[in-house]
Amino acid sequence: MIEAFNPVVLFDLLILVLLIICVISIARTRDLVRAAILFSVYSLTLCLLWVHRGAPDVAMTEAAVGAGVTVALFLVVIARVGRRER
Amino acid sequence: MKRRAYKLLVVALGLALLGGLLWLPPPGQPGGPVHEHVAARYVEGGTEAAGAPNLTTAVLLNYRGLDTFGEVTVIFAALLAALAVLGVGAAARNASGTGKPRVDARLPASPVVNFIIRLMAPFMATFAAFVMIQGDVLPGGGFQGGVVLGAMMILLSVAIGPDRVSGMVAPAPLGWLRAIAPLVFLVVAVSGLALSGAWFGLSDQPALGHALMVVLELAIGMGGAAVITGIYLSLAREVE
Amino acid sequence: MLQALFSHIDYVAVTVLFCAGLYIMIARGNLLKKVIGLNIMETAVFAFIVTTGMIDGGDPPLLEQGLGPDFASPLPHALVLTGIVVAVSVTAVALALIVRVKREHGTIEFDELGEPR
Repeated sequence: MIEAFNPVVLFDLLILVLLIICVISIARTRDLVRAAILFSVYSLTLCLLWVHRGAPDVAMTEAAVGAGVTVALFLVVIARVGRRER
Repeated sequence: MKRRAYKLLVVALGLALLGGLLWLPPPGQPGGPVHEHVAARYVEGGTEAAGAPNLTTAVLLNYRGLDTFGEVTVIFAALLAALAVLGVGAAARNASGTGKPRVDARLPASPVVNFIIRLMAPFMATFAAFVMIQGDVLPGGGFQGGVVLGAMMILLSVAIGPDRVSGMVAPAPLGWLRAIAPLVFLVVAVSGLALSGAWFGLSDQPALGHALMVVLELAIGMGGAAVITGIYLSLAREVE
Repeated sequence: MLQALFSHIDYVAVTVLFCAGLYIMIARGNLLKKVIGLNIMETAVFAFIVTTGMIDGGDPPLLEQGLGPDFASPLPHALVLTGIVVAVSVTAVALALIVRVKREHGTIEFDELGEPR
């Protein structure tokens, strides 16, 4: 267990911890715009994880789809239905 | 009270999943079963058999072409479902809202945003075309370029308004453009019977197989971009 | 036990993400929050699938000069690409349905929607 603390593993752990913090923040917030922006941050961190795992095609698709198109669709629908969650 | 029950249920499910996952071999070792049987054959014989140095594109378009056909059909069906739910054209205009006069959906974006979007749009289009065409040599491929192109159209509709973006292509060719990916896939599948004796078989000569792969990638890219733009515009023109 | 947990740390993180997405989906009443939870669950599953195919210190699956003999397996990448397309399709249809529900009923909170008339 001690021998595994090289920078590669630490980078991996940092990305995973950031993902979990993003998801917990999405669960706790009541503002839908904040949830959409946090989802974009989550998707971009996931793209970093794909690059770290050696999957560049998946990283490109996730960056464009998750952080771009999906969040744009969310924001358009929020403009229609209202921003606060009860 | 209900929140606590949900939390307990989710934690119990998580522990059950974890108990199953810990039996798998640890991730990152080269000897695991996922690298053995089929994937080893793809990695070793990939380039000669499929004609593409990018192994993921070779798997997507050549070895698992039927799955990619299903994928483009799914995203086209999603566009049809979104249009059916929201209403198209006059039905949408009559049904939406409470009778207030329909305000232009584009808030006056600041001049900085307008300028940056107009400056970046040609570069985004060039990058999308590059990713689509070079998809079999470099990381990339059809759908990646198509989504970048769709994101560019979404940005343009923020800068110049969704009505002008949806007026860029006339309605009759627009229907064909959105359906181009499943149609081209069907044509290549049937022609594969004639060229190499199997459904979806890109032909035996490497030059013709390479050309067919580029045609497939362009079709997936353009179809994906048109479908994503269509979904965004059908949602954006609802806003009042 | 602790050694197994630490060597499978990627799988533990994926399970936590999946369960958090599931909790968001079932415990919050707003329909849009449920769609966000569904997306989080889907991306957690994609993370799991790509993680099974990775090799520590390996190379992306491109056959060029300079990339060594250890390739990350290309099969999970193709599977996840199709999965991402299906996820965006499901999200698009769900968002269209949410806009329609708002138009018909005036609210998108699950508790206020009530019985069908």
